[in-house]
Amino acid sequence: MTAPGLAVSLALAFAGLAALALSLDRHHRAVLRGPLLRGRAVQLRAAGWGGLALSFAAAVSLAGWEFGPVQAIGAVTGAALGVAACLTYRPGWLRAAALAALPLAAAFLPFALAAT
Amino acid sequence: MSQPRRFRPAMAWLHTWAGLVVGWVLFAVFVTGTASYYKDDISRWMRPELTETPADPAAAATAAGAYLARQSDGTGGWLVKLPTAEVPATEVYWWTSFAGPFHHALLDPATGEPTQARETKGGDFLYRFHYELALPSAWGRWIVGACAMVLLIALISGIITHRRIFADFFTFRPDRSRQRAWLDAHNLVGVLALPFHLMITYTGLMLLASVLMPWGVRTAYRDQPILYYEEAGMMPKYRPATGQPAAGLPLGHFVGLAERAGGERPEAILVSSPGDAGATVSAVFEEPRGLAHLHPQIAFDAVTGAEWARNGVAGGATRVEAVMSGLHQAHFAGPALRVLFFLCGVMGAATVASGLVLWVVARAPRDAAPEGVGLRLVRILNVGAIAGLPAGIGAFFLANRLLPPGLAGRPDWEVGAFFGAWLTVAAVGAAMPRVRAWPVALGLAAACFLAVVPADLILVGEARFVTFDLAMLGAASVLVLAARTATRPRAALSRKAPARVAQA
Repeated sequence: MTAPGLAVSLALAFAGLAALALSLDRHHRAVLRGPLLRGRAVQLRAAGWGGLALSFAAAVSLAGWEFGPVQAIGAVTGAALGVAACLTYRPGWLRAAALAALPLAAAFLPFALAAT
Repeated sequence: MSQPRRFRPAMAWLHTWAGLVVGWVLFAVFVTGTASYYKDDISRWMRPELTETPADPAAAATAAGAYLARQSDGTGGWLVKLPTAEVPATEVYWWTSFAGPFHHALLDPATGEPTQARETKGGDFLYRFHYELALPSAWGRWIVGACAMVLLIALISGIITHRRIFADFFTFRPDRSRQRAWLDAHNLVGVLALPFHLMITYTGLMLLASVLMPWGVRTAYRDQPILYYEEAGMMPKYRPATGQPAAGLPLGHFVGLAERAGGERPEAILVSSPGDAGATVSAVFEEPRGLAHLHPQIAFDAVTGAEWARNGVAGGATRVEAVMSGLHQAHFAGPALRVLFFLCGVMGAATVASGLVLWVVARAPRDAAPEGVGLRLVRILNVGAIAGLPAGIGAFFLANRLLPPGLAGRPDWEVGAFFGAWLTVAAVGAAMPRVRAWPVALGLAAACFLAVVPADLILVGEARFVTFDLAMLGAASVLVLAARTATRPRAALSRKAPARVAQA
């Protein structure tokens, strides 16, 4: 897979993992300064797993079944490190970063498709 | 009934002690192994005299064959690795028997004579260190293999011990107590890259399997070890020497033959019994584009050029092994994915290092109370391993630039610098008082990496090495950050102490 393809998977995984982090009470309070409601947690969890599934799907469709899973796992690891660093040092930025990651993934997609 | 309640503490005990006994070796294995993802880049930097002009592989093979024919102890076989963009020189090995010794030279592709490049082990030193520890015969592989087995135990018991994998998935609280912060750090780098840690440990063991468990092959193929490789589809059928001398075709001829027969340029040329009428020339191809790390071969008659044999189709077991070694070595990874593999390797080293530090932090006496003998020993070994090894790597690169190019035994001097700097930093760390050992040792390691940059800029100063020099700066910054972190708890203590006095 090429660098743009990996960027698509990384951005989607980052958005997904950020949503999953926000579905946890401790991080939700730190980032959004409010209590986590039950319905909200379910929504965030669904969005999070959806993001991870999209990241995996992007990797497999861009790199095939042989390299796709390897790259998807690599992307999740890299994105998780980013989310953890953001939560530790700049928790206020996480929501904006996650929302920015989605259009970023869309922006990289044409380059990724052109490279395959 | 009480079994479930005893299980987790038992696993925690196992994780603590299994991790401690192998941690120092594994830290070195993780760091040098991770550096090996950039082995070719390191080798290129360490041989700045080699030009990066693309060479004609056929001409290079013929020139190398002429050089090898002059080596009297090369009657058993030759291996010629053709020049590529990554390694712009012809690498040759020759031997009399499979038992060794194996001779090695780096040839200029154009002339077929040894290159004028400074002599060095290059990135291969770090690569081989990560599974041989620079020890003679199979000792290093045995030690690394045993440590990897214990690491697998430590990984699994660690997963069982960790109560809140999902709840604490992203949690890092550096502002809490020292023990809490180190436990968070250990959990974070351990869990986030867990798929990598499990993969690299298991596949690493798989790569050492023939050393750790040789008895199966040895029993089945008693006196014909080559037959095993033939039947596993890893080698074409071997043809023994006849004893009749015969002149072979120039090696370059086989590069063209192999390209037509195999559809792509071979990676290496393997000659068995050169100069004999029964000699064969095998073209070794790079693995097909896939996860599996397989090397298809086509063997030709060295005298007539007729095709003699191809290796059979690899069976299921061989393919599984090839996929595992492919995943471990990640030859398939392009620049972007390679960065992620490197990052995962760094997280592996960080998991080991934070675990070792945590062992001491969890047992450290309060404030100025004296530490026991065991604790002191572990702390000194921690400083020696975690700060000493990076210092050694920095010194290894530094020696490559500073030692005179024509020095006799130059590669050994570089290795000497590696171990010398490692031992020096370890000794300094051991001699320092407890609060200063970490910052001083880590600072020395940072200085070793930092010194590489001016040495390279002044003595070589080529634009193509900018990335390498930036990587040196990066390594130095990480070590400086670590040294600052190591001084912080003390600063916090000394800030709090007067306040407490004021209250009293």
